[in-house]
Amino acid sequence: MKNSLVSFLLFLGWTVCAQEHLPLKTLDGFKDQAGNWQIVGEVLVNRTIDVHQKSEVQPKNTSKKRKKKRKKTAEAPKPVTYIEGTGILLNMDDATRKDHLVTDWEHGDIILDMEVMLPKGSNSGIYLQGRYEVQLKDSWGIKYPKYSDIGGIYRNWEENPEVKFMGIPPSTNAAKAPGLWQKLHIHFQAPKFDGTGKKIANAKFVSVTLNGIPIHTNVEVPRFTGGPISKDEVAKGPLMIQGDHGPVAFRNISYQLLEDATIDLSSLTYEAYKGDFKGLEDMDGQPVLSKGTSEKIDVHVTGEEDAYGIVYSGTLNCDENDTYTFSVGYTGGVELLVDGKSIIKKNASDARGFLTETVTLSPGAHSLTLKNIKTAGWWPPRLGLYVHSATTNPKLFHTYESFPPSTNSVSPIFVDADAEPRMLRGFVSFEGDGERLPHTIGVGTPTNLNYIYDLDAGNLIGMWRGNFADATPMWHNRGDGSFRPRGAVQWTFLNQSIAELPKVDAPFPKTGTPPDFIPQGYSIDPNTRLPIFKHGYKGVVIEDKIIPDGNERHLLRELRFSKQGLINWYFKIASGKTQRLADGSYAIDGPQYYIKMRSNQIPTVRTVNGEAELVVPVDGSTIVYEIIW
Amino acid sequence: MEITISTKTVLFALIFIGLQTALGQDEPEDQRRSGALSKTSLEPKEKDYYRITTVPAPEGILIEGGGVEALPDGSIAVCTRRGDVWIVENPTMTHNSRPVFKKFASGLHEPLGLVFHDGGLYTAQRGELTKLVDTNGDRIADEYITIYNWPLSTHYHEYSFGPVLTPDNSFFVTTNVAFGNEEWWRGESRVPWRGWTLKISKDGQMEPWATGMRSPAGYGLIDGELFYTDNQGDWMGSGALWHLPKGAFAGHPAGLRWTGEKNSPVQLTEEQFYSKIDKRQVKKNGRYVKPENIRDEKNPDFVHDIKASFPELQLPAVILPHGILGISNSEVKVDGTLGKFGPFDGQVFIGDMGQSKIMRVVLEKVNGAYQGVAFDFRSGFQSGVMRMDFDQNGNLFVGETNRGWGSAGTTNSGLQYLTWTGRIPFEMKTVKAMPDGFEIEFTKPVDKASAEDLDAYVGKRYLYKYHAAYGSPQTHMEPLSLKGVKVSDDGMKVRLVLQNPKQYYVHEITLKGVKSKASGHSILHPSFYYTLNAIPEGPKLMVSELSTKRSSAKKKVAKKKKAIKKTVKVNTEKVLTDSQIQPLLTNNTCIACHAKDKRLVGPSFKAIAKRKYSNGKIVDLIYNPQPKNWPEYATPMAPMPQVPKAEALKIAAWINSLQ
Repeated sequence: MKNSLVSFLLFLGWTVCAQEHLPLKTLDGFKDQAGNWQIVGEVLVNRTIDVHQKSEVQPKNTSKKRKKKRKKTAEAPKPVTYIEGTGILLNMDDATRKDHLVTDWEHGDIILDMEVMLPKGSNSGIYLQGRYEVQLKDSWGIKYPKYSDIGGIYRNWEENPEVKFMGIPPSTNAAKAPGLWQKLHIHFQAPKFDGTGKKIANAKFVSVTLNGIPIHTNVEVPRFTGGPISKDEVAKGPLMIQGDHGPVAFRNISYQLLEDATIDLSSLTYEAYKGDFKGLEDMDGQPVLSKGTSEKIDVHVTGEEDAYGIVYSGTLNCDENDTYTFSVGYTGGVELLVDGKSIIKKNASDARGFLTETVTLSPGAHSLTLKNIKTAGWWPPRLGLYVHSATTNPKLFHTYESFPPSTNSVSPIFVDADAEPRMLRGFVSFEGDGERLPHTIGVGTPTNLNYIYDLDAGNLIGMWRGNFADATPMWHNRGDGSFRPRGAVQWTFLNQSIAELPKVDAPFPKTGTPPDFIPQGYSIDPNTRLPIFKHGYKGVVIEDKIIPDGNERHLLRELRFSKQGLINWYFKIASGKTQRLADGSYAIDGPQYYIKMRSNQIPTVRTVNGEAELVVPVDGSTIVYEIIW
Repeated sequence: MEITISTKTVLFALIFIGLQTALGQDEPEDQRRSGALSKTSLEPKEKDYYRITTVPAPEGILIEGGGVEALPDGSIAVCTRRGDVWIVENPTMTHNSRPVFKKFASGLHEPLGLVFHDGGLYTAQRGELTKLVDTNGDRIADEYITIYNWPLSTHYHEYSFGPVLTPDNSFFVTTNVAFGNEEWWRGESRVPWRGWTLKISKDGQMEPWATGMRSPAGYGLIDGELFYTDNQGDWMGSGALWHLPKGAFAGHPAGLRWTGEKNSPVQLTEEQFYSKIDKRQVKKNGRYVKPENIRDEKNPDFVHDIKASFPELQLPAVILPHGILGISNSEVKVDGTLGKFGPFDGQVFIGDMGQSKIMRVVLEKVNGAYQGVAFDFRSGFQSGVMRMDFDQNGNLFVGETNRGWGSAGTTNSGLQYLTWTGRIPFEMKTVKAMPDGFEIEFTKPVDKASAEDLDAYVGKRYLYKYHAAYGSPQTHMEPLSLKGVKVSDDGMKVRLVLQNPKQYYVHEITLKGVKSKASGHSILHPSFYYTLNAIPEGPKLMVSELSTKRSSAKKKVAKKKKAIKKTVKVNTEKVLTDSQIQPLLTNNTCIACHAKDKRLVGPSFKAIAKRKYSNGKIVDLIYNPQPKNWPEYATPMAPMPQVPKAEALKIAAWINSLQ
């Protein structure tokens, strides 16, 4: 608990800092390029057309006749079209215009967030410092991702073993289908050099997440990767985006540059006390048992496991006028004073925690006092102090033993489908941390397609590819009855999805309620070993089958009704802004996923209570559709 | 000639099989089939009469047994916390062949019970009653039919238990309460029918049956009537066994929230309830304060007092004194084996998770209500005893788990079975209430001289408080004094006549000096615990019929004794040795949760010693425990003010000697 708390807060401390947001109104901030990069307002991708098929055809068109013919076919659907405007950075490379996009600023340590969209078959990359590439690629549905798939740290092509680097694949494939926006988060640390220019620390990806799923954690990159801006390693370099391997679009780009903190703590002295202190004031007037000077804070100088007090005093030296965030990890009770003013205080003897407070300090010297007591035999002695600002990495002012880094020693309990599908009932939090649903079932298939079904509403609420479920929260110790999906879940919505509506614009019920709605469980399909869910609604039995589509990358859902001729019945397929695409499918909410009808009902888009919904009328005939994400 | 040879062959085969078993390297001491009774110089042990055998599950399969059901074909169905239902063929490993584990169903939400009925297995998942059916004969369920689903708030403690098949072919399911967010100690019913017993028909009609449940892990039918067990906790002074007729209120008030629903069989409201009894919901400095046991409380509430105002409040039929007869009671199982399981046919067995053991209960009806006696029966299971069922041969199968709460059996899971060895233990078979005391019936004749000696008996009586604090100390404790005893001519029965039997009290009597006529051994489990809700009417024994002998009276060596006492007193200044402290730890039920070296339900004594509390502080913590001092332990310690201070100090000194 404590461990996760500490790391959570540290993480928070790093990410709450104000990031630079690129407005993408112009190409300001980037160096000149051949014109393949532009700012646009909207990008539309035809998810079925491979960008490279087209480029292979193009060079062949030489004769005028053929050109004409070609023009005709070129009017056929293009893989990428766009609408003028701002907010989106788009690359449309061709044979002559295919420059990389390079920032006119340089970075060392950086936190970078963006959304990226790739059409089918396309390929790009983000080069940190112009040298270390995180690959971008349409890797939808790849089961065993490599360094060359999206999120992979690319290899280089050097033959000298000294500089050869084989790349690092993402730990899981979190890619979405072509044409959908994908979220990428990168926390990168630049290589470090000593005074002589000798490298003393490798470049490191502290964390990379794709669509919310960690794909790299604390991965060092000992060399530049393939196609760098320069074959050396430096403290600072520009950000570079690859522009010669197909169209790619970005939006919501923000970044935070991080420096090492220059704030320092000097003249550190301590005084140790002994006693069953209940409050920090109990140390006042007590005899000092020992005192001394030290380089760093170390709670163990008291020599006691418990019933101790310690007061550290020192001088903070700041270079700049800045806001500084102080974080104190402790057991017992604690108070941090800066310039005699209490900024963090927990006046207790048996607490533990990690407290954070931000203050503005002027350049120069400031006094610092850190008081700690503990009368709680069940906690080990712990005292740690970190300081960071919005533009710096945290700096530690304690010894390793005084506040050791957290570790999680619980073996996780994973559940996966093997040769046969795996079902798992448990509580599930919608959208990962939202409402906890009581009657849900996860289904994992041997093709690595997984989904969650809400039995209380007869509704498919989320689906993902990759590993199935983490049941540690349910089965470790007492457990809390819940499991978590192990992949990048595409969540849908919470509603009873099939209902008789009194009016065409009436909302769907939140959840099924008896006696209208009766969950009836499920039977196992003898061929697929997958469940067929059943529920009764107003006397009609509804059978709901969700199976992997033939290409094993997305799901196919089939709903059957025991009665025909139903009137005023509707089925809500999707929630969110909807756009009908050229291929007849519907792009939902962003787009984050696609719906494609297989049966011949015609969906309509309606807006109820400000929420756009894709709705199909239900007459009792079978409904079949694809969910693609 | 030929016959001789074949006999030899058979014999050889038998010896071979026997050898294989005897040499089984992994069998714990308990299971070695030496066959010999424990040496006569020593007192017999439980294992001499009832042997525990582990059913080995294939590696990687965790049998955290939440339900156990013997199937008509001789296999055992067991459902697990991991959501699987296994059918175990040949579970008793006949001919030393392996049991076969077949996965019948999987993916269930922490199922906690199994019943085979109508060609399917019924189980209560957290949120519904489910019927699992194999329709195509491959012994794999292909229908997971929701019979009835109930609301949940998704609190971790909202377990659902069952079902129990009723005589009219419906099902009972019991439901746990959740706990408060800020008031994490207070059981609450956040959504309808938490803290209730529900009766559910096969076609999914639900009838609320009874409320007052806190953590109703155990249930069973006795004489066709529903009984359930609950654990110590808020409003539950001690674990116990309750009879649950329709409309009963077993004592925990959380479920009263729903008595206004039109189908509620209980009418008592929360307002009415809390008008008679303090909710102990107090805020200090804006925060709720956890209610604690009030020491030396002037007029504590007791269930029987409150029952005077609310007749639907159900007295526990048999209290299972917390820490002695378990700490987390579970399954209720009647021995219907007609003697295959030994001399206790028709009696009731109750499991316990924390203490990993099974108790024995005998009920009788006095003035129209069930009450009765409880004994210890068999300890030593590898994990918490959760569910039990008898197979056709009279083996008692036990599904085990401790679900992260810790248990005396140090593994987290297991499937074991208990087999009667065919020997009759020397035990109290039953104890009945009499107008003037009790009548004890034995399994074997007693040695008359030993049984007629009043010094062979020692007893006390006590109550448990009814309050919002967690658990209760034994309260109003008084020693019992014996007027006399009468031993039947055949030595099979003893009538105990008490000076002071008292209604509602638990009467705990230990027959420490009563010996078996044949072997001279003591009673295997020499204590009984009778919950005297009612004292039957009827003739009392004449004093002239009673033996009032006391062996101590004969030896007029009072002076000498005093001298010895003095030296003992001097000795107590010193720290007691491990063996000297053992009786104190046992009598005061410390060993229910603590061991010297290893973590059980609570920390080891050595771990406590590391805290370097003063002896006085330890005594204080015995009386007023601080569970928050031990955040890694799930079960809070109950206050133990009944421990005499002198003994508490000795225990404290001994604990500190372990540093």
